[in-house]
Amino acid sequence: MKTKLIPLLALLAILPFARAADAAPCCAACAADAKPAAEKSCCADETPAAAFTAKSLYQLDATWTNDAGQPVRLASFHGHPVVVAMFFASCEYACPIIVTEMKRLRDSLPADVRAETRFVLVTFDSTRDTPAALAAYRERMQLDDAWTLLRGADADVQELAMLLGVKYRQDAKGQFSHSNLITILNPEGEIAHQRAGLEGDVGAAARAVTATLATGRTIPNS
Amino acid sequence: MNVHLRRFALSAALAFFASVAAAQPEAGMVLIPTGPYAPLLVGKDDPTTVTVPAFCLDVRPVTNADFLAFVRANPKWRRSQLGPLFADPGYLGDWAGDLDPGARAPLASPVVRVSWFAARAFAAWSGKRLPATAEWERAASAGFTTTDGEHEPAYRDFVLDWFGTKSPSPLPAAGAGRPNFFGVHDLAGLVWEWVGDFNTALVSGDSRGDSGIDRQFFCSAGSVGARDTANYPAFMRAGFRSSLRASYVVPNLGFRCAKSIP
Repeated sequence: MKTKLIPLLALLAILPFARAADAAPCCAACAADAKPAAEKSCCADETPAAAFTAKSLYQLDATWTNDAGQPVRLASFHGHPVVVAMFFASCEYACPIIVTEMKRLRDSLPADVRAETRFVLVTFDSTRDTPAALAAYRERMQLDDAWTLLRGADADVQELAMLLGVKYRQDAKGQFSHSNLITILNPEGEIAHQRAGLEGDVGAAARAVTATLATGRTIPNS
Repeated sequence: MNVHLRRFALSAALAFFASVAAAQPEAGMVLIPTGPYAPLLVGKDDPTTVTVPAFCLDVRPVTNADFLAFVRANPKWRRSQLGPLFADPGYLGDWAGDLDPGARAPLASPVVRVSWFAARAFAAWSGKRLPATAEWERAASAGFTTTDGEHEPAYRDFVLDWFGTKSPSPLPAAGAGRPNFFGVHDLAGLVWEWVGDFNTALVSGDSRGDSGIDRQFFCSAGSVGARDTANYPAFMRAGFRSSLRASYVVPNLGFRCAKSIP
């Protein structure tokens, strides 16, 4: 019994050292695709389009999917003020409050501004928030055509969160903890205002939406 | 006895070759074997220890020379070309020019004043990616001689001393520091480093040193709190990450790359 155990123990003991020690430069598995990949692999999704300003989020050409299953690019909102927040549909904590706040914001806008403004919800939960799940959420929260519900690839969700300054993490049960943040984009797609937290009135955010039209009015392209 | 010894040698040799055959890091990378990571910030439903699958990690931070090759090949990421969305003013601020690191950014020193976007683009161009927090912290949890740097007095002192020392300018060469147990250099002692998911550190910015999060600013299914505030280096890094935004450029913040095992 003892003699059989010794080689096994020896093997277990040596394993981490063997791995840690093999720092020698040599390549097989990892190296196969190690050459600098084509430049497009890193930069294609961030190439600024000449049509957009340097601070415009519309430079991103990630393709999202809406709750009808159609592809959507953020640039499709060009020309409109946008109120955008990140959320996930199965959230029972702050997300419904964020959506309610966005509705209040909308209700407080002057009618002409309200007609121009688009409301966008982007989910963190690209696994569970399928187009069907987002459609059910639209139904449940009674969101009309002014609202767009989007899901996307994890890398695109992460990039958008980085640009908006949204922090988020998923716990072991699949729930997301995240910043409660509502962002106002001007018609050029630049961040014009951000509202953090859940308390307080939406007046400042509503004024920010109106101001984007007053100062930077562009002709809506749709 | 002889039999035992021979078996030992055979087992050791087999184990070594098995591990070498399993996954070979490319030049400049080492394999960090599958192992545990105890996250500092955990929700009430999160396990206190997670298993980090084996991955490859650069043995040293990316240097100015490395980054020069990247901006030569990708004009968009040159200092004069990069738009404000992807880096704050001061991007590559130590460099003398677009394609000239100059005296304040020696070629062998780690590149700093790069945004998360730039670091991520470099990694993708290299066929790699940024390490996740769990991966970076797993690699950095090792000391000089053991996998448990937190309880290795010499290593702990080394890290704490660095926290208390002003970064020299220009920065010393990358890779010159004593390697840790895994063969990785400079995880402490040179510069802070970006991780791909730095924005998972949910500590509200207006309550410094706070281990909890503010429910008004973060929607949280379970509260996220610091598990072990005694692990001061890990706590410092979590606090630092929570203060970052992806466009920030910081004088002593660089990065290194990682790669999944195929």
